[in-house]
Amino acid sequence: MSLAPAPLTDVADRLAALLRGDADHALVSDGDGTGDLVIDGDLVPRPLAIASTPPRAVWAIDGGQALVRDARCLQVYVVRSGRCRYEGRVCTLEECGDLRAHLVGVGQRAAELARLDGGLGLGLDCALDVNLLRERAEWDALERTLTEAQSGDLVLIDGDLRPDPRIPPAWFGGLLEAAHDRGILVVGVTKHTSLARGNAPLLGQLERDADASLGLRTRWWAPVGHSSGRRGALFTVVAAKLDPDAPFSFRVDVAAGTDPETALAALATVCDDAAFPGYPYPLTVADRLAACPPWVREEAWFTIEDQLARAGVPVDVRDRAFTDRHRLMERAS
Amino acid sequence: MSATSTPTRGRLYGKNVLEATFRAAPDDDLFLGELLVGVDDATGRRYLFRVVDVTYGSEHREPGWAERVAGTMLADDARGDAGAHPLYEQERRTYRVAECRCLGYLTPDGKDFRKPKSLPTQFSRVLSPEPSDLAFLESRMGDLHVGVLRSGETVVDVPVGIEGASLAKHVGVFATTGMGKSNLMMVLAGEAMRAGGRYGLLIVDPHGEYRTELARHPWAERRLRTYSSVRALGASALRVSLGELTIDDLRTATGDTSRAQEEALFELERFYSGEGHQGLSWLRPFTQLDDLVGFRDVELGKRVALSTLQVLQRRARRICSLDAIADDPNVSVAAAVERDLGEGKVVLIDASGLGPTEELLVASFLTRRVLDAWSTAFLEDRDRHATMPTIAIVLEEAQRVLSAASDRDGNVFPRVAREGRKFKVGLVAVTQQPKLVDAELLSQFNTFFILGLADERDRTILKSSAKQDLSALSPEIQTLMPGECLLAGVDAPFAVPARVHLWSDALRMCPPPPEPLAQPAAHVAAFLD
Repeated sequence: MSLAPAPLTDVADRLAALLRGDADHALVSDGDGTGDLVIDGDLVPRPLAIASTPPRAVWAIDGGQALVRDARCLQVYVVRSGRCRYEGRVCTLEECGDLRAHLVGVGQRAAELARLDGGLGLGLDCALDVNLLRERAEWDALERTLTEAQSGDLVLIDGDLRPDPRIPPAWFGGLLEAAHDRGILVVGVTKHTSLARGNAPLLGQLERDADASLGLRTRWWAPVGHSSGRRGALFTVVAAKLDPDAPFSFRVDVAAGTDPETALAALATVCDDAAFPGYPYPLTVADRLAACPPWVREEAWFTIEDQLARAGVPVDVRDRAFTDRHRLMERAS
Repeated sequence: MSATSTPTRGRLYGKNVLEATFRAAPDDDLFLGELLVGVDDATGRRYLFRVVDVTYGSEHREPGWAERVAGTMLADDARGDAGAHPLYEQERRTYRVAECRCLGYLTPDGKDFRKPKSLPTQFSRVLSPEPSDLAFLESRMGDLHVGVLRSGETVVDVPVGIEGASLAKHVGVFATTGMGKSNLMMVLAGEAMRAGGRYGLLIVDPHGEYRTELARHPWAERRLRTYSSVRALGASALRVSLGELTIDDLRTATGDTSRAQEEALFELERFYSGEGHQGLSWLRPFTQLDDLVGFRDVELGKRVALSTLQVLQRRARRICSLDAIADDPNVSVAAAVERDLGEGKVVLIDASGLGPTEELLVASFLTRRVLDAWSTAFLEDRDRHATMPTIAIVLEEAQRVLSAASDRDGNVFPRVAREGRKFKVGLVAVTQQPKLVDAELLSQFNTFFILGLADERDRTILKSSAKQDLSALSPEIQTLMPGECLLAGVDAPFAVPARVHLWSDALRMCPPPPEPLAQPAAHVAAFLD
């Protein structure tokens, strides 16, 4: 059973065919197609006008995570959700969120799921990984935010509005419905999307289309599709360049019930930061607040180590358990 | 010094015992040379910092972040749409970083200022200094005040100056044209006049720029004597006699004397001394020689080249033709100058009517005369010497006589630089080009007034010679405005930034001299009885 050759030249040839647009343009997908996206937009960029007045308040939510220590069969993670609120251009709320520590691995699932559940009914057979840990914290922040937000507010999520399949669809769908009922606009902005046309990245193609049809300095949007609702959430998916000087366009998910153009017009009012035109500034702040940089990871481990010491676990035992042998061996070579 | 009354300018976060780095708000208008205080609440010490550089800082660690922001804004400007892309929360995302030198610290009781030997607590508050933070300077700023303390561009009401006695340890005044050397010299001279006879200044002024101005000083009538090479109201005629001058004076003045010319001078001196001439009195008969060839062949035994003799004769004729040069020793001002200086007066030699060589000839002679008088008193009568004022000889364009090339046997100025302090005779060397002054001589100068210097080489030589650490102050020196200076001296705890008084302000601020004490009436009755 010998392997077939896999030279770089072959990959380059196939990539060239994709990027030239040789494949079927009608073939539009969201990654591997396992999501719940229904592609029914016309994918034609059209001008977008910015709202004359910004929303009363713009909220932004993001999640962060860090692997504190990895014993392979056991991992210590910390996650948190950061959120902020801007009224006008003034930040009126900043939260780093509580640092939540999790022990993931052999024999830990039940204990961790019990802490995550919070009435969601996650189920004892639910697989546990860091994605679920982080998303759970993020959606929890969304739930809290929706209770505090007022009608006319815009709530931004870093990423799409499609929850992890393990999150109960009914609960998440209920969140978005409640938001809509209260006049709160929920929007997800995805920086790096798997949307594809002709099996090549979609947004780059739309950007070229827009440059050609609308000119270089244009704010635009293009309908892409909508969620099927299988995961509970109903939302519209569009591509949008939210500032004339934006270097990139993004995938934007707009919770169902709101006209996407209206939502995008409101979103564009906070996308004019000079550091990155076209990306909502409050999301960059939420990203910073949620980040778990190396020093946070080390502080977390110091805290755990103190407790291990008090519990009588010898240093030698701790070190042998959590030494990253792979990395050490790589260094040694 | 309450903990909360003064607004916080920054928070200290890095560096070492001698340096400090603090973060300030993005709009904090920090200046090079600004003095700030780091308040260590843990120890009660107040550390004095000097800002030596200010840079931009950003919360963003992404490479090129700031350049990208600037690019976005620039593109807006180019479209005529400035402000289209504001930077959200600039005050939070950006900041300023001030690099400082730690100058020392005030002890918790505020009485002592000590050199830095410890780190202030990290993240200590950085504040603008309060008057009490700088009060210690007042006792170290001597009795000749030339200006006030400057913190960046702000003037602080603390006088800055030098101790008059330190004039004997030599003072350098360094600045490029237009930065305020002459103003500083006039202010210093004015202060010397006010000192009531404790200090004498011999100012040789090649351009005649001081005469009128110094005469306006309220104390000038009593404390200023002017000798001028040109007719001038209120000035005595400047006269020195040839017999008082020496070949060394001539060599110092001419500077570029060749070896052959030196040999010729000594041949001439040897010949004419045999005829009873003293000093350079032989210059007169030498200028009157018509038959140089015969003189050379017969009297000098052909030991001197004719061309050399011709050059020397031309120089001699120029010197002898000057009104300031006399044959009669009795008309010389030397004794009067010596007496005036002995009385602690400012003696101004207005040499504007002389050429550069003759000006230096006079300066060399008078300097030698003063040094001889003060050294003789020191060696022969210590008690009298102790009562004599400290003398400073002010030399403009001092590099002419203090360069490495000019430091030869017989040049009186390097001698003053090396030996003068024990006799209470110092130099005030004024120059635009300290790099041309011999480094070893420069190291003898205990006090530097550094005004704006554009040339890096000039700043470098000063950094290596100053009695204070100037290593980080190059940008500050480079950016000094006219009238701003750094005072570096052994008495100052650090290189003190100052704004020199404008001469017109100094005149206005100067109180008139006290009225002379009334003579008591004669007690005639005692004689009658």
